[in-house]
Amino acid sequence: MTAVRSARPRGSGTFDPDALRELLAASFEVSAGEPRVVAHTVLDTFDRRLDRADLRLELVAEAGTERLELTRSGQVVANVLTGPWPRWPAMAAALPDGPLKDHVAPLSGIRALLVVGEERRLVRRAELRNTDGKIVVRLDVDDAGLVLVRPLRGYQKEADRAWRLVTTLLEPVTATRAASPAPKSAVDPGAPARTLLAAELTGFLDELRDNLPGTIADIDTEFLHDVRVAVRRTRSLLKLGRPALPAHFRQVWEPQFKWLGDRTSAVRDLDVYQLGLPEMAGWLVAADPADLEPFEAHLAHRRAAERRRLTRALRGVRLRRLLDDWAAELAELGGSARPVDGAWSAGALAHATIAKAHRRVVRGGTAISDASPPEDLHLLRKRCKELRYAMEMFAPVLGAARLRDAIKDLKSLQDVLGRFQDSEVQWTTLRTFAHDMVADREAAQALLAMGELTAHLHAEQQRARTEFAGVFAAYVRPASRLRMERLLGDDGRAAG
Amino acid sequence: MKTYATYNIKGGVGKTSTAVNLAYLSAASGRRTLLWDLDPQGAATYLFRVKPRVRGGSRGLVSGRRPVDDAVKATDFDNLDLLPADFSYRNMDLDLDDAKRRTRRLDDLLSGMAGDYDVAFLDCPPGVSLVSENVLRAADVLLVPLIPTPLSLRTYTQLVGFVADAPRPRPAVIAFFSMADRRKRLHREVIGSVPHDDGARIAETVIPSMTLVEQMAERRAPVPVFAPTARVSRCYQELWAEITGGKAG
Ligand SMILES: Nc1ncnc2c1ncn2[C@@H]1O[C@H](COP(=O)(O)OP(=O)(O)OP(=O)(O)O)[C@@H](O)[C@H]1O
Ligand SMILES: [Mg+2]
Repeated sequence: MTAVRSARPRGSGTFDPDALRELLAASFEVSAGEPRVVAHTVLDTFDRRLDRADLRLELVAEAGTERLELTRSGQVVANVLTGPWPRWPAMAAALPDGPLKDHVAPLSGIRALLVVGEERRLVRRAELRNTDGKIVVRLDVDDAGLVLVRPLRGYQKEADRAWRLVTTLLEPVTATRAASPAPKSAVDPGAPARTLLAAELTGFLDELRDNLPGTIADIDTEFLHDVRVAVRRTRSLLKLGRPALPAHFRQVWEPQFKWLGDRTSAVRDLDVYQLGLPEMAGWLVAADPADLEPFEAHLAHRRAAERRRLTRALRGVRLRRLLDDWAAELAELGGSARPVDGAWSAGALAHATIAKAHRRVVRGGTAISDASPPEDLHLLRKRCKELRYAMEMFAPVLGAARLRDAIKDLKSLQDVLGRFQDSEVQWTTLRTFAHDMVADREAAQALLAMGELTAHLHAEQQRARTEFAGVFAAYVRPASRLRMERLLGDDGRAAG
Repeated sequence: MKTYATYNIKGGVGKTSTAVNLAYLSAASGRRTLLWDLDPQGAATYLFRVKPRVRGGSRGLVSGRRPVDDAVKATDFDNLDLLPADFSYRNMDLDLDDAKRRTRRLDDLLSGMAGDYDVAFLDCPPGVSLVSENVLRAADVLLVPLIPTPLSLRTYTQLVGFVADAPRPRPAVIAFFSMADRRKRLHREVIGSVPHDDGARIAETVIPSMTLVEQMAERRAPVPVFAPTARVSRCYQELWAEITGGKAG
């Protein structure tokens, strides 16, 4: 089946519906409805997962009916013609059962569907029929004179004929898809480091601001997660950029963002539990997943309390002032950054920070033995994260392609350290939860089940610990060290 | 893809009316639905204003020389496509007999369409034939309209026997009373003394005899399209809900 085609008046020409009708009437029986308002409510996740999959989900309201429609370049992939619909924002799980839901749910995942756009158009729907009175082509004509020719399966010839007629009057519109976002543009290594830092930090600030309303409204758990990522990246960059940033940044801004980060931790930890609960339930051997219900209730209760605390902070004056002042500070940082003698260049800062972060990872990892306490591994994980951020942040200076392999090397090390720490954190918080719940007489079964989970997490942690030595050895093997040296070597070095 | 076939050994019992209305309701619920009009008379094809013509005819399709895809026509209704009848279908038994896997040919052809549709309906001609053997093989559910008379119950017993003798996998059988007239004592009595069991199921929903159903031929559309709030439209809806248990596809 070929796609929907569209045409519009040539140049600045106006559109004459009667002329079009007359033209088509020579070959078809044309029935055109009255123009009516068609309201489209476009739904997608906040991070546009459907759009990235080239899909468009919309609620179309027309002539007193509403339908939910999933299309790809104008072609209907799946639809539901009768409600009731969930209230948006809603998780895909709340969609009516059927093919549309089956398409959407795997894409939207843990993100809610929310209204991302609305448009109303005055549309006249026309049907072209053959001599049997069968509809063979559908036309949509909107008030701007845009004409859509929709073929029907098995009637391609008729659609082609209609298209030929339409395009004698109108000009074909070639579909243009929004270009994918350009990769981070390269930065001259000789440019001032402050310019680069200001641009990166401003990007994180935007990300942070964009995700605040969704976090406050608790639309889905990813909003808070993305707020935290933006804060964490800001903090890392403040730290990595210390040599190049004004001295007061360290005293003023580092504590501010620590404050903000700390506000968000409790709810995120609880989110991680709630999201992981189905998987955890699968670990149970002796206990029944249903035994965990009191635990789930306990989490929900705790989360509600922590959410109240979080939203108070996010709505509060302190945060509003913090963000405004920060924006002003960044504007100044970006604006004032003229190349001054003795100031850091972006290239020099990139090399210095990455080299330093890398040294710290290698030194920290080498010092770890079987006898090292867990804290040493946690510290190493933090250092790895810093190195990772440094490499990502300076990618525009060093060239993303050259960094790709270095990042890949680091990733396996981060994975094993992440598993080690996550298991430990989950394991210790489970114990805290158990203590909280012990007063509840109904909770005995849940506590036993949680005991099983602790055992599983403990074993997982041990596994990660055993794997660590091998993964670290691979990380410091000559090949990947060489890659790092080359990255930071002469040929990549910038003036400064 | 879930396949339903409206089938009865007897003619004129409401097979086509049922197939057309239920296929329409399936499509309206968002399920991509295909209706295959297997009857050379082409009643369902006529109702959708589609020309009863398939290039290559029965032989072309059954032999696989003509892709089934190419014969499909969109109806005037969203999500509902038709595989039209063709007069050559009257020879389909012979064509099937010539084919490899002679009792599974229709099943094979339908399987090729499984990616495009969530639900398929087969509107079958009456009688017992190689086509109906193929239908038993291809269908997940056999929908059997029964006019509530003692005679039609006898053919129903034959039908249940025919299904029981067929090789596995066998379709589930759901019978229902169709064209029932409450004013007729005989109809009321037959419905009241429903024979149960023998592996088949008789639906609770009864489709009443209504002139609106006959009007489908003039209007050339499913009843819920031109009489959405009529009692008989509601009955078809209830029947569809009962058959799918609230969940089709
Ligand atoms: N519920 C009903 N009320 C009134 N008339 C009906 C009803 N159902 C079907 N009819 C009419 O009965 C006649 C036969 O119905 P239909 O064509 O659906 O049966 P069929 O089993 O497909 O017939 P055939 O065996 O000829 O294919 C048609 O004229 C149809 O309009
Ligand atoms: Mg029929």
